[in-house]
Amino acid sequence: MHIYLGLLEKSLPDQTRIFSAVDGKLLDLNLACAAYLARSGDPTAYERAAFYFPETIGALLARGQQSLQALTEVVAYAHKTGARDLRGPSGEKVAYDATEVRLLPPVQNPDKSFVVGFSDQARIEAMPKAEIPTGFYKLPQTFVTNGAPIIWPKFSEELDADACLALVIGKAGKRIDPAQAWEHIAGVTLLVDITARDVNRREGLTTNNLLGKNFPSSTALGPSVLMKPARKELESIEVELTVDGNSKQKFALRDCVFTIEQLIARWSILGIKPGDFLAIGASMALNGDRLQNPVPLKIGTTIRCSSPAIGELSHQVVAGKGLPR
Amino acid sequence: MKLATFCYQEQERLGAVDGAGRMVDLHKAYASYLREVESNPAGDELARLTLGRDMVDFLRRGENGLPAARKALAHVTAKPNAAGNAMLDPNQIRLMSPVPRPGALVSAGKNFSDHVAEMASKKGPSAPVAFLKLPGTVTGPEDDIPHPPEVKNLDYEVELAIIIGKPCVDVSRDEALDYVAGYAAFNDISARDIIRGENKTGIHLMGKSFPGFAPMGPYLVTADEIPDPQNLKLKLSVNGEIRQDSNLSYMIFKIRDMIVYWSQMGLSPGDVLTTGTPRGVAAGRKPDQPPWWLKPGDIVEAEVEHVGRLRNRIVAE
Repeated sequence: MHIYLGLLEKSLPDQTRIFSAVDGKLLDLNLACAAYLARSGDPTAYERAAFYFPETIGALLARGQQSLQALTEVVAYAHKTGARDLRGPSGEKVAYDATEVRLLPPVQNPDKSFVVGFSDQARIEAMPKAEIPTGFYKLPQTFVTNGAPIIWPKFSEELDADACLALVIGKAGKRIDPAQAWEHIAGVTLLVDITARDVNRREGLTTNNLLGKNFPSSTALGPSVLMKPARKELESIEVELTVDGNSKQKFALRDCVFTIEQLIARWSILGIKPGDFLAIGASMALNGDRLQNPVPLKIGTTIRCSSPAIGELSHQVVAGKGLPR
Repeated sequence: MKLATFCYQEQERLGAVDGAGRMVDLHKAYASYLREVESNPAGDELARLTLGRDMVDFLRRGENGLPAARKALAHVTAKPNAAGNAMLDPNQIRLMSPVPRPGALVSAGKNFSDHVAEMASKKGPSAPVAFLKLPGTVTGPEDDIPHPPEVKNLDYEVELAIIIGKPCVDVSRDEALDYVAGYAAFNDISARDIIRGENKTGIHLMGKSFPGFAPMGPYLVTADEIPDPQNLKLKLSVNGEIRQDSNLSYMIFKIRDMIVYWSQMGLSPGDVLTTGTPRGVAAGRKPDQPPWWLKPGDIVEAEVEHVGRLRNRIVAE
C-alpha cells in the first residue's frame, strides 16, 4: 500500500492531505475514512477520520497502530466499493485524478533526515576505511518531490546525483536493540541526493559537508511511501538512477553489507521519531569511486530515480536565476 | 530588547525581559495593550496573529513583530498591575533557548586563529568551514546536558549565536548585518572521540548532535543593542575555573563573511549561525595531565559580553 502527501488545487499551503492510490485514483483518506465510519451512522465520523488521518504523514505515523489499522480498513473498503463511486458522508468528492493533486515530499519536516553510505562490496573496495556507516544530514528546506526542477546553484560548476532508499520511521526509540529495530520502520520511499561535487570535495578537506549538499532542491523525496513492506520485499526493492536515459546506479538493500537492523541501531543512538528517515544510497556498483567519478549533470539533463515498488522521481536540471550558463 | 522563550505552566511562551529582569509574556502583554490602549475588542486574536506562535514564527513576521513587542513591553512596564498577569517572576518560569527549533543550525569550525593552532591544524581554511548541528540538539540556558554513555571525551566550545531575521540569499558584505535579528550565547558541546571516528570516513555528525549538545541563550538580544558584534569577549569556565577567555575579534572569517558565505545556500528567519570557538577547549589544552574531559556533575558557564551567560550542569544519561 502506498500513501502520498498532497494539496488540492485550491487548497491553502497548510491544508495538506494524505492520499492513497486506489483504482488509478488518488483517494483523500480523511474523507474516505469519514465515509467508511458514517456507514454505521457514527455521529463523530468527521472528527474521528481527522484524528486517524491528520495533515502530515509524520503525524499519521505518530498516531500509531490505530491510524495504521484505519488505513488498512479504509483502503480495503475503497477497493470493495470502487474508488470512483466513493463519496464523503455529505456527498463530498473523495477520489481525484493525479492531475488534480499537487504532490509534496511525503515527509515534511523531520527532526532527523539522515543519509548514510550504501556499503556494498564496491564501496568497501573504494573506501576501505568506511567500517561504520557514516552519515550526513539533509536540511528539510532542501526537499522537493517528483517533477520539481533541480536548480543549479550559482556556486558550483559540477553537480552530481545519487539514488537512495529512505527508511521512514514509524515508532520513536533511542538506542534501539537490533532485535527490535524492524518494528520501528513504517515504510520506505526514494531519495535523490544532489551534490555540488566541487564544493563537496573542498569541504571534505576539512571533514565537512554542508553547502555542497544543502541548497534549494538538493534533495528529491517521494513520490510515495510504500507502507510496511515485508522484510524480504524491502531487501529486494530495486532502485535505479538514470541520467538522460543512461543507467548510472542500480542497487537493492540485499547487497548492503550492513543489515537494516545494524543501521537503525547505530543511528537511533541520537533518538528517532515517527516521520524521521534514514536513507541509504550512493551505491558504487556501476561507477566506482563517486568522488572521482561523479555522474556529470548539465543544464537540461533529466534525472530519473525509479523503483517498480515505490514509483519514480523525475527531475530536470535547470539554470538558477541570474546564472550565466 | 531581550526576547526570550520560556516555559510557564508547561506551556511554551514568547517573552521579553524588562529593565528589572522580570519576564513579560508578550502575547498577554500585547493583547492587554490592544484592549486597553487601542480599545480593540479582538485583542487576543490580533496578538496571536501579530506575534506568531513561536520565536521563528515571530521573526518571520519581520517588521510587524518587533514594534508590537516593544509596545507590549512598554505598556506592561508602565502599568504592571493593569496588564493582566503578563508580568512573571523569574522563579515562576523555566527559560528555554530563545530559538528552541531553528530551521538550520550552522556551526563554524576552525574559525579562530588561536584555536586552529591548538588543534594542530597546519593552517586556517581557505573558505568558511561549518557543519550542521541537528536543530533538535538545542537546549535552554540553564538546562542539564546529558552525558551520553557512548561518549568518553566530552568537550565544550563557547561561541556567539547569530540569529537570522530576514530571508537572506546571496547578500553582500556591506549589508550582511542587516539580516541579523539578534545574538545569543552558545555552547557547541562536542564528543571528541566520536568525532575522531567520524573524521576517518569524512564527515562528522553524531559527535556534535547528541540531545542537549547546543545550549543557547539566555535571550535573543536584538541587534540594535550590540553595535559591534565583532568585538565581544568570550569566556567559559568549568566549576568556576576559567578555561576559555578570548574575543570575537580573533575570528578568521568574520561574522559578515559567514553571513555572506552561508547566504549562498539561502537562510531564513530563525536560522542560526555560530561563530566557532577560540582556544582553550579540552581537546586542545595539551598541558592537561591526566587528560581532562567534562564529567557528570560539572557546571559549565559560557558567557559572551553584553549578550549573556549560559549555566549548564553535565548529568549522566
